[in-house]
Amino acid sequence: MGLTEDRERFREVGETRRADLSEFISHGDLGGSGADRIRIPIKVVDLPAFEYDQRSAGGVGQGGDGQPQPGQPVDPEPGDGDEEGDPGEEGGDHEYYEMDPEEFARELDEALGLDLEPKGKQVIEEVEGDFTDTARSGPRGTLDVDEFFKRGLKRHLATDFDEAYVREGLFVDGADVDDVFAWARDQGTPVSRAWIADAAATVADEAGEPVAALDRWESFEALDDGVDREPVTHRIRREGLDSVPFRSEDERFRHPEVIEKRERNVVVINVRDASGSMRETKRELVERVFTPMDWYLTGKYDAAEFRYVVHDAEAWEVDREEFFGIQSGGGTRISSAYDLVEELLTEYPYSEWNRYVFAAGDSENAGSDTRDNVIPAMESIDANLQAYVETQPGDGAANARHADEVESAFGDADDVAVARVSEPDDVTDAIYEILSTESGGGGGAPDGATVARRTDGGEHR
Amino acid sequence: MRDDRIEAKREADALDEPAREARELAERLGLEPYPVRYWVVDHDQMNELIAYGGFQRRYPHWRWGMNYERQRKKDRHGLGKAFEIVNNDDPSHAFLQESNAPADQKAVITHVEAHADFFANNEWFGLYADRGEGGPNAAARLERNADRIASIAKRGDVDRDEVERLVDAVSALEDTIDQHSPVDAARSVEEPGIAADVSDGDEDPVAAIEARIDDLDLSEEVRRDVFDDEWLEARGEGVEPETPRPDVLAFLRDHGKRYDPESGKAIDREPWETTVIDAIREEAYYFAGQKQTKVMNEGWATYWEATMMGGEGFAGPDEFLTYADHMARVLGSPGLNPYKLGFELWTHVELRAARREVIDKLLRVEGVTPENFHSRIDLDEVADLLEPHPAIAAAGPATLDELADLAAAGDSRVDAEAVDRALSARDGDDEASDDIDVERYPWKLLTREGLAERHYVLSRPEHRGALRNVSREALEEQARYLFDVDRYETVEEAIADVDRAAGWERMFSVRESHNDVTFVDAFLTDEFVREGNYFTYEYSQAAEEHRVASVDAEDVRKKLLLRFTNFGKPTIVVLDGNFRNRGELLLGHRYNGVALDEERAKATLKRAFELWGRPVNLATIRVEYDDGAVRRAKRRGEEPDGTEVGVRLQYDGGEVTEHDLDESVRERITADEVDYDTKPDDWLA
Repeated sequence: MGLTEDRERFREVGETRRADLSEFISHGDLGGSGADRIRIPIKVVDLPAFEYDQRSAGGVGQGGDGQPQPGQPVDPEPGDGDEEGDPGEEGGDHEYYEMDPEEFARELDEALGLDLEPKGKQVIEEVEGDFTDTARSGPRGTLDVDEFFKRGLKRHLATDFDEAYVREGLFVDGADVDDVFAWARDQGTPVSRAWIADAAATVADEAGEPVAALDRWESFEALDDGVDREPVTHRIRREGLDSVPFRSEDERFRHPEVIEKRERNVVVINVRDASGSMRETKRELVERVFTPMDWYLTGKYDAAEFRYVVHDAEAWEVDREEFFGIQSGGGTRISSAYDLVEELLTEYPYSEWNRYVFAAGDSENAGSDTRDNVIPAMESIDANLQAYVETQPGDGAANARHADEVESAFGDADDVAVARVSEPDDVTDAIYEILSTESGGGGGAPDGATVARRTDGGEHR
Repeated sequence: MRDDRIEAKREADALDEPAREARELAERLGLEPYPVRYWVVDHDQMNELIAYGGFQRRYPHWRWGMNYERQRKKDRHGLGKAFEIVNNDDPSHAFLQESNAPADQKAVITHVEAHADFFANNEWFGLYADRGEGGPNAAARLERNADRIASIAKRGDVDRDEVERLVDAVSALEDTIDQHSPVDAARSVEEPGIAADVSDGDEDPVAAIEARIDDLDLSEEVRRDVFDDEWLEARGEGVEPETPRPDVLAFLRDHGKRYDPESGKAIDREPWETTVIDAIREEAYYFAGQKQTKVMNEGWATYWEATMMGGEGFAGPDEFLTYADHMARVLGSPGLNPYKLGFELWTHVELRAARREVIDKLLRVEGVTPENFHSRIDLDEVADLLEPHPAIAAAGPATLDELADLAAAGDSRVDAEAVDRALSARDGDDEASDDIDVERYPWKLLTREGLAERHYVLSRPEHRGALRNVSREALEEQARYLFDVDRYETVEEAIADVDRAAGWERMFSVRESHNDVTFVDAFLTDEFVREGNYFTYEYSQAAEEHRVASVDAEDVRKKLLLRFTNFGKPTIVVLDGNFRNRGELLLGHRYNGVALDEERAKATLKRAFELWGRPVNLATIRVEYDDGAVRRAKRRGEEPDGTEVGVRLQYDGGEVTEHDLDESVRERITADEVDYDTKPDDWLA
C-alpha cells in the first residue's frame, strides 16, 4: 500500500495489465508543439461515467470586457482555474504539460545522463551588442542625453559663481573694478573682468557715486569675515536649475559595441521510409523517436532548422505536417534519400552549421543499395551525427538488413548511430542511443543509472 | 506525515500564533469552525496529499498514482502550486505548503478556518456528518476502507486485478447515488459477513475479528442490531421498483450479481465484493457534500479570508501586498472560477440583506412611503448616518480612551473587559498578566456587533450606491408586508435602529441550508449577470462551432444550474430490476433536453454490467439531425430542428446493441418541465 505502489500500478494500467482500461487512456499526440513551447503528452486514464454530451450541454462563460453579442463565436471555456487544493476534487484534464525546448533539453540531459555540448561554428556575423560605446557624432536618436546633460551641468557649475558675493566686493572701501577682479580670481571665482565692470557701472548708477567711494566694508578681509559665500551646489538646490548651457561639443552619441558572435546553428534532416511496408505503428514509432530529438536539438542550439525527406524508391521533400503521415505504395531505395540529403546540405555549409541526419525505416532496402550507395554516401556527408532508426524490422523480409549493414560498416564511430525500436517502451533507449553517440565522444562517463539503462536497451537486440 | 525536519518545524512554530489568533477572530466574527489541526508539509508531501484527496491513507488504487503524477508535473512546471489542502473532518486537518510566504500562510489559515466553519455547519455536509456517529469521522473511515480493501487485495484467493476492476466499476457509477439523502447506514461497511471476507484463509480469523471489533463503536453496534440479515433480505424484494430509484449504486449493491464467464451465468457475489462496493459507495457519499457546495464553500472561505486579512489587517502592512497579489490570482483565474463566483454571490447576499434592513427601517419613518421614498429621504444623509462610529472604525491604541468611554456607557459594540486590559497595559499596570496586542489585533477590543459595524457592507466605498439603486417596485414589494409603520419620527432615529449585522446573519443562515444549486438559483440576479458580463454559449449545428447564445440572466442561471445540478451529470435512475421478466436491469436517463455522451455512456454501461451480472439496458433520448435539414438550415442561416428519438442501449457482455425504446418507457424518462436550451430564435441571423 502507498504511493510507490499506486504509481507503479498506474504505470502498468493498460500496458502490462488491465487491458480493459486501454481504451480510456489518452496520451495526447505529439503535435501541438511550437518552436518555443513543447507540449509533452502525459498519460491520463479517464474512467467513463454517465455524462452530458458537451455540445448538447452548452455552457456559461464570462466576458473579459463587456458583454459579448449573441451569435458571436466562442471557444468553450478553457477550464476552471483551481489554484488552491479542493478537497475531493480531481483536477481538470491536463493531458499535457508544457515546457520550453531548453527546459526539455535540460530534462533529457538529466534523465539520460547526456552531455551534448553544442558547437559554436565560425563567426558568421558581427552582432550589435549593447549601446555602450560613445562617439562625438551620430544619429540624433542615439544622443546620450544623460551624458549630454551631465556635461552641460558640469560646465554650468564651472562657470557659475555667487554673483551677490562678487558684487559685494565693489562695496569695499577704495576698491575699483581691477581690485575686485583680482580678489575674485584669488578666491577662484570664475568671473570675468567685463562682468565686474558691468556690475560696477550698475552699482554706481544706483548709488549715484563711483564704486571706489562705496565703503560698506573696510577691506576685502572684513568682507570675507562678514559674508558667507554660498556654494554653487547649494544655490542650485535652493533655486533650482533654470538653465544648463547645452553646447554641441558636449554631445555624445551612443553606438553599439560590436560583438563577434559564434552562432550555434543546427540543421536537422529527418528522413523517413514511406514505402508500403511502413504501416501505421511503424510511422508512429518514428514520430515518437524523431519528435523529442527535434525538441532536444531545438533546445540545445540557438537556431534550428528542420528539413523533412521521405522516400520510397524515389525521395522528395515534405513539410513537417506531412512527414509522419505519408504512406506511398512504391518499393524502397534508401540511397535516393541520401542523394537528396546531400543536395539539401549544400545550403548549410558544414563550416557554419551543425548538421544532423536522422533516417528511419524498417531496414528494408533494394538489393545491395545499402552497401553500394548508402554507406558511401553516409561516409561522404559531413555531419555531427547521422543515425538510422530501425522500426519493427523483419516482417519476415529477408532484405531487412539495412540497419545491420550500416552498423557493421561504421562500428563504434562516434558520428553514426543505429537504434532499434519495436514498441513505444524502446523509444527512450533509442533516443539515448542516438544522442549519446555524439555526446559520448567528449563527455564524461555515464553514471550508474545510465549504464543500467543501456543494458536494458540491449535486450531488444 | 508528522515532519520533524528543522525547517518545517520552524515554520510550524511560526504559525502557532496566527492559527490561534485566526481562530479567535473567526469566532468573534461568529464562525463556528471544527477544530483545525495544522500541518506544514513540503511540496512533495503536498502533491501526495492532493493526489489522495487530502487524506493520508486511501484504498490502494492506480488513480492516486495518476493524480500524483499529474500534480507533480503541475507543481514542477509552475502550472498550479497548491497553497493548502484541508479535509472535511472533525477535527479538520489542514496541510500548508512549507514554501508559502508568511502572508500566504496567514491567508491560507483564515481561509481554512472559514472552510472548517462551512464543513461544520452546512447541512449538506451534515447529511454525512450527522449519520449517528457524532461527526464525519472521515479520516478514520477512509483509513478503515483503505485497510479493508488492501487486505482483500492481498488475499491469496483473490486476484488483485479483479479488486481494482471492481473499484473502477463502482467509481464509474459513483455519481449515481442519492446525494440528497444521508448515506444509507444499512449499507455502510460494518455489515454481517464482513469478518469472513477480511480474513484470508491463512490468517487467524479470531485476530481479524478482534481487530474489527476494535474498530466498532457503540452506534455501529446499534446499527448492526437494527439492520441485520433479516432486514437486508426484506429489502431484497424490491427488484421491480414502483418509483424510479436514484441510488443506482445501492440497487446494484443489493440486487446485483456477478457474471461468471465460465458458466455464462450470473452467480452470487463473493462477500469481499460487497465490501468493496460498500466502501467506495460510502466514500462517494462523503465527497458528495463537497461536490455539491464547491462554489458556496470556496466563496465563503474567500469572503472571510478577505474580511480577516484585508479588513482586519491580519496581514501585516509589510505582508499586505503579497496577500493582495495572492487574492488577485485566486480570483483572477480564468473560466468559471468557483472562488470568484462564490465570493461575488456571497457579497451579493450580504448586500441585499443589509439593504433590506435599512429600507425596512426607513419605510417606518413617519410619512415615508415607497412612492415618496426617493424624494423624502436624503440618501446622502443616510449614508453619513450609516458610517461606523469613528472610534469603532479606527479601533486601536489611538482610540482606547474613546472606546473606554463607550464601554463605560455600556455600549454593546465594545468588549469592555478587553478595553480595560488594554488600558491597564498601556498605563504600565503590571497586574495585567496576559497583555493583548491591540496594535496588531485591534479587533480584540470589539464585540461581534462592533465588528459588524466596522465592516458594514453599505459603508464600503464600492457599495455606497446600493441604496440609490433600489427600485420603486422593490420598495413596494417590501412595504406590502410591513406592519408597524410610522414607528420613527426621523430618519436619524430609524437608522439608529438598523442592525448592522443583518447582512452577516443572512449569510450565516444561507450557509446552513443551501447547496450550489439552490444558492445560484436564489441569488444570481440580473444585476449580477450584467455586472459580471456572464453569457451562455451553445453549439450551433449549422455553423459547426460554439456561439454566444444569450446574456439574459434567466438563461445564465439555467445554464449554471445545469452545471451544478446532480454534480453537472445527467440523472440516471433504476426503472426496473426485472426488465422483460428476464432479470435484466433497466436504467433510465431522465432526459432534460440535454443528450448523453453516448460513447461514454456505453462504456459506463459495461461497468454496470459487471455489477449486475446480467444484461443491462439504458433508456435515453437522442437528438438526430437530418442531413437535408441541416443543409437547408445552413442556407437560411438558421439552426436546424433536431428530432428527439428514444433509444435503448443494451449490453450483455458482448457488444452494446441499440434498440427502439418503448413509448411507455420513454414517457417515464422525459422531463418536460425543464428546458436548458438558451438559443435565441433569430440566433444566426
